[in-house]
Amino acid sequence: MALPRSHYDPRRVCINPFPGISLGKHRRTIGIYLAGGLFALANWTFLDAAVLSAHAHPPYTEPQIPPPVHVTFVDWLPGICSLLGMIVINLIDKDRVQGHEDFGDARAVWRARLFLFIGFALMAGGLAGSVTVLVLKYILHHYTEQYTYYGYANVSQNVALMLSAIVLWISQSVSTEYEYTLSI
Amino acid sequence: MASAGIKTVILLSFVLAVGFLLVILSCALWANWLPLLVALTFVLAPLPNAVFARCGGDDFSAEYDGSGPVDLGRFITASVVVTGFALPLVLAHSEVITKGACAMSIAGGALVYGTIMAYSQTFKEGDSEFD
Repeated sequence: MALPRSHYDPRRVCINPFPGISLGKHRRTIGIYLAGGLFALANWTFLDAAVLSAHAHPPYTEPQIPPPVHVTFVDWLPGICSLLGMIVINLIDKDRVQGHEDFGDARAVWRARLFLFIGFALMAGGLAGSVTVLVLKYILHHYTEQYTYYGYANVSQNVALMLSAIVLWISQSVSTEYEYTLSI
Repeated sequence: MASAGIKTVILLSFVLAVGFLLVILSCALWANWLPLLVALTFVLAPLPNAVFARCGGDDFSAEYDGSGPVDLGRFITASVVVTGFALPLVLAHSEVITKGACAMSIAGGALVYGTIMAYSQTFKEGDSEFD
């Protein structure tokens, strides 16, 4: 539906079947606004946890116990990985990845796919790292819900960053040339 | 058209004043001036779109709305708008500002942003009729 079948190459590892989303004429604009909103939402979810951790006070019933855990640099790392992956993915020319080898040489396509792979690996690494931090730092120590929230915020930050990158990719690769070929 | 334009301008300026009143009240009532950042965020929100709008295309490629700078401007705009809503919520969640200040600053910021949007929308329509 999304791609002509003639471009399908069974040797490829990353096949990107772009789903045909029909939001009318403004789907590209809507997708990009949505991606920006998701991006900000992701970062604010994590910053909420960080600010909450910086202002955490001991419970009122026993004021001598300090908060057992804080958001440290380890919690920031998965988000930074996802952010780098998102930048790498969006710096790649979409036409190169789809393998239109009639312009440019084949090595450019190969390199573009390599960098796309690195970008997706960074994003997946960020997501996996956030789950790792959640399990190793918060769940295994049996903290209360007030402190495991930091870990859950981290995971949702990375999920939302990945969603943002996906929405941005899809909305930018739904090209108007496709409509053009359909209408003829 | 002229009288309707003047009425629109007066109405929008009243809404803008009410928005700034809400934001400043949300700061002054609790003597905590952090919610003023919300007004600043919402004022800055349409700026990336305005800056990058000229990078789009000329009249010949008007229907092809797909250049990188325009997309970047839209992305930044959406991020800044969500930031404007998220910032008071985050501040209220960590009890830096109170919940009342949070609600008032969100409402005021949304009014300011809505005013800017409505203003640019209204007068862009008027301009494009004579192009």
